[in-house]
Amino acid sequence: MTASTFTRRQMLASAGAAALLAGLPIGAFAQEPRRGGTVTVHMPQEQRILNPALRASTGVYVIASKIMEPLVDLNEKGELEPMLATSWEGSPDGKTITIKLREGVKWHDGKPFTSADVQYTAMELWKKHLNYGTALHSALEAVDTLDAHTAIFRYNRPMPMDLFMGAAPDLGYIAPKHVYEGTNILDNPANVAPIGTGPFKFAQYERGQYVIAERNPDYWRKGYPYLDKIIWRFITDKAAATAAIEAGQVHMSNYSSLPLADIDRLGKDARFEVSSRGNERQPFQNTIEFNLRRKELADVRVRRAIVHAVDTDFFIENFLYGNGKRAHGPIPSVSTNFYKAGAPDYPFDVKKANALLDEAGFKRGADGTRFSLKMLSPPFGEDIPLWSTFIQQSLQQVGIKVELQRPDAATYLTAVYRDWNYDLSTGWHIYRADPAISTMVWYRSGSPKGTAFTNQWGWEDPKADKMMDDAAFEIDPAKRKAAYPEIVKLLNTELPLWMATERQFISVTSKKLKNHHNNPRWPSSHWADLWIES
Amino acid sequence: MKALRHFLFSPAAVLGLLLLIGIVGLAIFADLLYPRDPLALAGRPLQWPSLGGRFLLGTDASGRDIAAQIAHGARTTLLMGMVSTLIAIAIGIVVGALAGFYGGMTDDALMRMTEAFQTLPNFILLLVLVVVVGSNMTAVTIAIGAVSWPAVARLTRAEFLTLRNREFVQACRTLGLTNRWIIFREVLPNALAPIIVYGSVVMATAILLESALAFLDLSDPNIASWGNLIGQGRKVLRSEWYVSAIPGVAILLTILSVSLVGQGLNDALNPRLRGR
Repeated sequence: MTASTFTRRQMLASAGAAALLAGLPIGAFAQEPRRGGTVTVHMPQEQRILNPALRASTGVYVIASKIMEPLVDLNEKGELEPMLATSWEGSPDGKTITIKLREGVKWHDGKPFTSADVQYTAMELWKKHLNYGTALHSALEAVDTLDAHTAIFRYNRPMPMDLFMGAAPDLGYIAPKHVYEGTNILDNPANVAPIGTGPFKFAQYERGQYVIAERNPDYWRKGYPYLDKIIWRFITDKAAATAAIEAGQVHMSNYSSLPLADIDRLGKDARFEVSSRGNERQPFQNTIEFNLRRKELADVRVRRAIVHAVDTDFFIENFLYGNGKRAHGPIPSVSTNFYKAGAPDYPFDVKKANALLDEAGFKRGADGTRFSLKMLSPPFGEDIPLWSTFIQQSLQQVGIKVELQRPDAATYLTAVYRDWNYDLSTGWHIYRADPAISTMVWYRSGSPKGTAFTNQWGWEDPKADKMMDDAAFEIDPAKRKAAYPEIVKLLNTELPLWMATERQFISVTSKKLKNHHNNPRWPSSHWADLWIES
Repeated sequence: MKALRHFLFSPAAVLGLLLLIGIVGLAIFADLLYPRDPLALAGRPLQWPSLGGRFLLGTDASGRDIAAQIAHGARTTLLMGMVSTLIAIAIGIVVGALAGFYGGMTDDALMRMTEAFQTLPNFILLLVLVVVVGSNMTAVTIAIGAVSWPAVARLTRAEFLTLRNREFVQACRTLGLTNRWIIFREVLPNALAPIIVYGSVVMATAILLESALAFLDLSDPNIASWGNLIGQGRKVLRSEWYVSAIPGVAILLTILSVSLVGQGLNDALNPRLRGR
């Protein structure tokens, strides 16, 4: 296993540094932006919904966030950038949040944007339908409209200001009340032909082929956007998408949607920028999930031994082309607000893994095997079959035989999250800016049986549950910040599951495009300042 | 003896036989050639094939030795191909013989059932079976056998239809021989030649079906098989094409050898071609 001295990571790191340097002059010597032009974007999947106030998903944002807008977005430094909201203020008890809205904004159909739209969207869409939104706003009692441009959110328990605003770029999209009111929200035609306030107007949606949006001449930010048109093309075959990009038919592919080998190859092609720049806000992690109902895995020493046995650094350098790094728990190190080094960790150590397994009483049999486990691996991404195979190979070294199963996505979700019919499992955890949004549900007990990506591991710790609840609704930012490292310490010690890697989505972008990937959630952001060389 | 001589005089058949012996030999001596587990991590992933290097045929995307997987995969592929072919031929012969020999209601019933199977594209049927019963090697083998028999049944039936009213069969009837005797001792041997030849086609198709399943990541990932290797290689086809190409060539050679041997057997066994 020491054959890993050649690392693609080093190559990528230097390429990244070069890209950073190359990026600087664009800002410094500000080439004059060109107006007009059409940008074509690769879409690997089609969700058949274009309303981000109903579904929080990168596959929705990447199109609809150019048409509809959230209360706030992020600027190039990752700070909150006012969009439909211009200022915000929380009350001392944490139960009231007052939001001032931008004046003079018009919906694409000409109606004015007012606080009634915010009130309606929050109460009818976020609280009732939006994934993650229903949990986040479960304590939302009412939204009062003081005047046409002031909305007051009232909660029946404290809502931390940083949680609310941290979630707002993703979970804060506003839909037009006059279009949705009195209709069946889920069946409203505007869900696939959105009416928003954004820099681009929806033009056409041809199922299975493309979505087109055109320049909004009445956009509130004067002089923007630069582009005339954006076309999103649905290309499900990854290899075909690479070919389209190389032929210049498509200008950009986001969210790691091309084959790993092709991403690596295009990275050496001077026509493209291949980088995780502009994807910093959505790190994702490869997991190792345990079923604690299995007697061997109920012993924490066995779980620790399994993590010790997997050489995550080797995996990242050689299987993922150096894209990513070893994680130290459920909160990725890029989340500087909540990450703190020093939690219990399990670096690669075969000797220690063997010792732990011996100590737990699982001696090797005559054939060198201690026991066998069944591992389920879902078809989410190209890295997952590699990761599950790597775990199988690694555990063989310490005498644990792993039988791999690769069911389809629906069978996988049922087997792991509803029937608990697995020993080991693996998947992706996507971290969204604040551990209370989509991370702690992996650990908090009490999720209904069958809820995907929640704690169905057979692990329950009242102390951990209480710590997580207290942290989520703590309104003092300093206390919140201090609470999560303590929680991670406990979770890493007990190890109900392990988040082994932390990675960034990779975008492949033609160098003809300018002003791209300039904020930490750029593929899901507004693109008002994006322009293209002729 | 005469058949054997006839077989050995055909260069194509001998070439096929030599290839097949080579592949069977590779399967038998896989453990001696590559004693390590072929699915274990052997080195850095995606190393190109090199004559003098540690890995003659390179490594795949999971860092496994491709040469070891080809050798151990020969075992899986041949065994899977033969067993599923036997299953298909056994079912096919029984159904076809009964339908062709008895005719009438039996024929109608059995043939309608066969047609029902034939109207479903067999790969789709196989996908359904594998999704329902799971994708371990035993299940995949049985499933491939279970979707491949209809053509064998129709072929057997056609042969039986042409043979059942021949004079030698009528002679057997007059002698008072039982139907079972007539079917298995008189008609079947005469009908067997095209079925054996077709058996080679079934085996070739079985190997391709397993590869197609593995290509879709639906075959057993815990066993070294050529199909799995091709499925793995698909993701790196543009840059490291050898991962798919090497097992592809192995499959090509195996199917070629099986069909050449089948063709040779046809020429040698077919009583109507004898002495030609």
